[in-house]
Amino acid sequence: MPESEDKKVFAKNLLAQDSPHADKQVQHKEALFKKIKHRVRLRKVVVSAVYIALFSVAFWASRQPEYTDNVVHSICWGAVSLHILLWFLIYFLRGLYRILAETIEQAPGRNEKQPWRKQDRFITVVAVLVFAFATFLLYRSFLFTDPLKAASTAAGIFWATVFFLFWYPFGTASVAAKLWLEHKRMQLYMTSPEQDDIRVSAGCGGKDNTK
Amino acid sequence: MVLRCRRRDETAFEELVNRWEPRLYYYLRRIIENEDAVWDVLQETWLAVFQSIRKLENPQKLGPWLYRIAHNKAISVFRKENRHVQLTDEQIPDHYENHTDILIDKERAELVHRLLNKLKLGYREVLTLYFIEDFSIGEIAQITALPEGTIKSRLHYAKNKLSEALKGANNA
Repeated sequence: MPESEDKKVFAKNLLAQDSPHADKQVQHKEALFKKIKHRVRLRKVVVSAVYIALFSVAFWASRQPEYTDNVVHSICWGAVSLHILLWFLIYFLRGLYRILAETIEQAPGRNEKQPWRKQDRFITVVAVLVFAFATFLLYRSFLFTDPLKAASTAAGIFWATVFFLFWYPFGTASVAAKLWLEHKRMQLYMTSPEQDDIRVSAGCGGKDNTK
Repeated sequence: MVLRCRRRDETAFEELVNRWEPRLYYYLRRIIENEDAVWDVLQETWLAVFQSIRKLENPQKLGPWLYRIAHNKAISVFRKENRHVQLTDEQIPDHYENHTDILIDKERAELVHRLLNKLKLGYREVLTLYFIEDFSIGEIAQITALPEGTIKSRLHYAKNKLSEALKGANNA
């Protein structure tokens, strides 16, 4: 028996000396998954609640008579609700992009590290900074008295948002295309039994790997 | 599997728990004596894994990463319970013989397990990681956050201690 096999058997025997009791293990797993489910639910509830609350407040405020009378506030609150809505969309698109990029990374035969992670980290940092800066500009536009200036600032911040709204769908599309190409490459490398028969009968078995 | 876990796939996470739990349990039992505390640490470890599996960049390093989390959780519990106990308080001699071949004998697992518990924690931990996962010096150093040189000397010293004890047990 090779040494590595011996080591594996030894490790298995060693683990058997102090293995967890089945009852305790089941009990522990039930408690663990209950906690995990609870945490996932709590996280979803908190994120959704914060988002809905922010969006509702912004939307409600934009509809209030005292704000609709004040043109600057009306513009700004409308911009705030749109700002939240678009950034939520960017967040969702980023998630989609990451799932596809990770799938590509895990494709068989791809051992090298993909550069997308560094790029994604950079874009995320830029996105967070842009979001913070845009929020700050929106806050400042509330203080303006000239509606034209407020409208121009509010409209200006969406240009940066639009960049990310384009970046992620295009990124996702390019990653999806790579995934499709990967799938085609695997299809090409997979030889069907009929093709093998043809090769053998034609006497062109390819490279001799037995040497 | 790691990829599926990153997507918060519960079945994948259950597979992960089933695959690694016995090994992590054995490892934690070598650090913490109290079984209930071990289960608590194990639960905290899995919750931390679930929370931060997206941060694991290279899925091939899953093993050392899991043990690193378990190590951190276990050591904090150990320190709370044994405030004045040092992890290793024996002086490692400069010269010692190497008996590595004696230890890897699959029939001796029971005896090794008994003798392993008699070693001091620092040695017991590195030897457990070496035995059950066959981790490299570098990986054990990553898990325990100690320099490679320290791991190397601890491992050799622990192996020697254990082989001496094995010899003693055989002669008795």
